[in-house]
Amino acid sequence: MSEHIMPASVYVLIFAILVALTLLTVGVSFIPLAGVWHVVVGMGIALIKGSLVVLFFMHAVHSPKITWLVIGAAVVWLMILLVLTLADYMTRGLIPHLPGH
Amino acid sequence: MSSEGVVLTSEARQTLDGTLLVRHRLEEQYADLEQQHETAAFGMWVFLATEVMFFGVLFLGVEAYHYMYPEAFEAASEKLNWVIGGINTLVLLLSSLTAVLAVHYSKLGDRRRVMICLGVTALLGVVFLCFKGLEYYDDYVDKLIPGWSFDDSEWVREEGLKPVQVPHVKLFLLFYWIMTGLHGLHVIIGIVAMLVMLELARRKHFSPTYYSPIDVTALYWHFVDIVWIFLLPTLYLMGTHK
Repeated sequence: MSEHIMPASVYVLIFAILVALTLLTVGVSFIPLAGVWHVVVGMGIALIKGSLVVLFFMHAVHSPKITWLVIGAAVVWLMILLVLTLADYMTRGLIPHLPGH
Repeated sequence: MSSEGVVLTSEARQTLDGTLLVRHRLEEQYADLEQQHETAAFGMWVFLATEVMFFGVLFLGVEAYHYMYPEAFEAASEKLNWVIGGINTLVLLLSSLTAVLAVHYSKLGDRRRVMICLGVTALLGVVFLCFKGLEYYDDYVDKLIPGWSFDDSEWVREEGLKPVQVPHVKLFLLFYWIMTGLHGLHVIIGIVAMLVMLELARRKHFSPTYYSPIDVTALYWHFVDIVWIFLLPTLYLMGTHK
């Protein structure tokens, strides 16, 4: 941590990329896309932006392994929450309704 | 590093305060400053991991119900002010830049720039809240507050929704109020933390070898920024393509 000092220009560059991605995500949201694709694209761009903040602004790139363990744990638990729950909600309509059940 | 019980003249105290020994601020349970710093950062990362779950479940709720009630959710999202939401994204991104620069200049020992960066970060947080207040007032005028300022029949008449879909609109708006409200609370806490760091920096509390509090506060601030990065497409941009 303390031994790694990135030049300030790196932070400005990351900021510029984040602004560009913000404009991109707003722009894309106005394009007509089918169904769930808006969520996929919007979340995809947000994921890239979030990763840039974690890696460079929060200095994860130069952090000890224990920090990566926490990041990994957070991501894995979040995935359990999202994937298992959405696997339920998004597949409910696949089974036809049977009268009497 | 406590000097309790030690009698010092104010002159001797001033001299001692200027020594590297006092400025190090190493607590006795740590082997060295690096271990102390890593421990502090680790604590904040663990806290942020719990915050991921805290906000994650709300994002999951929005997306699951969006999947179930796409028409009502997108109609309600379309009413939100994406311009203010977008401007606020840029405000928070800029504040993240100043927060990371505060850490950067702490490492270099540039106290004046550290104070400027901390102050600007807190100020941008206030700017964010001002835009937020403006937006909330607009929502009140536009009747987007279920239970207080809301008109069921308007959604049926003007948006062409079925009466049975109006509760779904209210559900989306409840998510909107809870998520932006909780995020706003985090911003307020972040502003207070930044101002505390500003005051400590003013009192020459930090040095190039000891700046953990600034680093940890910046970590928290960046997390609050990340939550907003995800809130923008989730709430504001869900219905703009209509």
